[in-house]
Amino acid sequence: MRRQLAALVSFSLTLTGAAACGSSGTPSKPSPGQPDKVAGAVIAIVDVAPVYLGKQKGFFSQRNIDLSLSTSQGGAAIVPAVLNGQVQIGFSNVTSLLLAASKGLPVKMVCNGVASTGVPDKDYSGVVVKAGSPVRTAADLAGKTVAVNTLKNIGDTTVRASVRKAGGDPKAVKFVELAFPDMPAALQAGRVDAIWVVEPFLTAAKAGGGRVVAANYVDTAPNLTVATYFTSAQLAKSNPDLVKRFTEAMTESLRYADAHPDEVRQVLGTYTQIAADVAAKLTLPKWPTDINRQSVQTLADLAVGDGLMDRAPDLSALLP
Amino acid sequence: MSAPAIGRWPGLVGLLAFGGLLELLPRAGLVPAGYLPPSSRIARALADQARRAEFWTALGDTVRTWLTGLAIAVAAGLVCGIVIGSVPALRTATASTVEFLRPIPSVALIPLAVLLYGTGIRATLVLVVYAAFWQVLVQVLHGVGDVDPVARDTALSYRLGRWARVRYLVWPTALPYALTGVRLATSVALVLAVTGELVIGTPGLGREIAVAQGSGAVPAMYALVVVTGLLGVAANLVTRAAERRVLAWHPSVRSEVPA
Repeated sequence: MRRQLAALVSFSLTLTGAAACGSSGTPSKPSPGQPDKVAGAVIAIVDVAPVYLGKQKGFFSQRNIDLSLSTSQGGAAIVPAVLNGQVQIGFSNVTSLLLAASKGLPVKMVCNGVASTGVPDKDYSGVVVKAGSPVRTAADLAGKTVAVNTLKNIGDTTVRASVRKAGGDPKAVKFVELAFPDMPAALQAGRVDAIWVVEPFLTAAKAGGGRVVAANYVDTAPNLTVATYFTSAQLAKSNPDLVKRFTEAMTESLRYADAHPDEVRQVLGTYTQIAADVAAKLTLPKWPTDINRQSVQTLADLAVGDGLMDRAPDLSALLP
Repeated sequence: MSAPAIGRWPGLVGLLAFGGLLELLPRAGLVPAGYLPPSSRIARALADQARRAEFWTALGDTVRTWLTGLAIAVAAGLVCGIVIGSVPALRTATASTVEFLRPIPSVALIPLAVLLYGTGIRATLVLVVYAAFWQVLVQVLHGVGDVDPVARDTALSYRLGRWARVRYLVWPTALPYALTGVRLATSVALVLAVTGELVIGTPGLGREIAVAQGSGAVPAMYALVVVTGLLGVAANLVTRAAERRVLAWHPSVRSEVPA
């Protein structure tokens, strides 16, 4: 439901075009000596732990940024919020940003968000089947039903990439849309043949006897950049200094998070409800400081190839 | 109701039996405990929530959205209801519009609210006010229309002014209706406050439920749902008590007193 309304909002933003964005995108000018107020919209998932940790560690306040974070249900709801200036910084997966850019929405990536670990058995994302399933490899997913959290997005394109890589027919995979929390139950009940899940539901699905048959992020590209932080092209142009300081603070946060997994597991409890015992066990993603540009190109090619968009947007305008 | 002291016990027994059933079903393996935890596990999660500062902030946010929306809706509903109801021409002119707007489910306005107010608290407030307003308005309209014609004629022949007629004639007649409207509006407003938080993501218990769901924290999710239920029960108790107090003179309440 929220996705539909986000789609409607972005649709109307497209309609009003520059008018909608012209009136906004600039944070209130601070009085001298006051830090710049920056509002960020993220999703309450493991991926954004660095920004919470960085805020806690004072990486943003050191750079004169007073960061406030709010959580939305999905990346699709965050894009409109950034474009109409309600928030200055958003967090979204790369495919959603590519789709937004291909529709002419002025989004601009500012720094890396989260990346795959690149290790097949130890990634934070995977395709899981039931214990007794005849599916042994990604190629066997052809003709089967796979649950993804959003159709025509990063989930189905990367699962198809896994199937393609394993020598199966990616077009023969049927996708259905289910929320991550509902997937382990749907798999157990046999309503779907396989589920694509990320942590903490990957741990939950494995604990329920599930078997991982594909590491879709690993199969798509080496060290795939999954999501990034972004702003509006408007703000990037009108206040490059603020964006630069945010990027520096975020880069430091990413580096810190990558080096201190225990503190990451601690900070999870402050903005999610992930139980402490689950947080201690789950597989953390990687937080490199740089966007893997080649992998963004790969996701763009996959999105075009799977018919999510007619042609890829100008990546040089989208990438920082 | 006629015998509250006795009447409450079977209710409590029913509640305990329900809690016991929720404890037994997952323990017996009839439903997967991972998705429907036993009630003792939910109670423990509730105790965990009570220790989190975020929980109390969320509870405060929900109560604030709820009561603010309710206050706006009740004030607007009372004023509009008395004005529209007292002027026959206005009443005729607005009747079809009211009947058209009233049945629109508030949740259908979510996209509009988000377009207008983004994902801030005001978006949810719009839903709450819209849903609660009609409950009050329609009841007040009925109440105003129910004024005894003989009493009205009497008031007119005694040359009571417009204000005096509202105060001594319309208000006492409409009050029982209005309070029913307020009671209905209170529960509807809570439903919409939580819905808005859940769907739009404005701060409050609804969003905490969504976060708990997104974290795979099933017992915490149920615990938060229980809290919203308790809010509803509390609201109903308070409005019922207020109704009895304010309408102590009214036959509908007096007849409840055992003879």
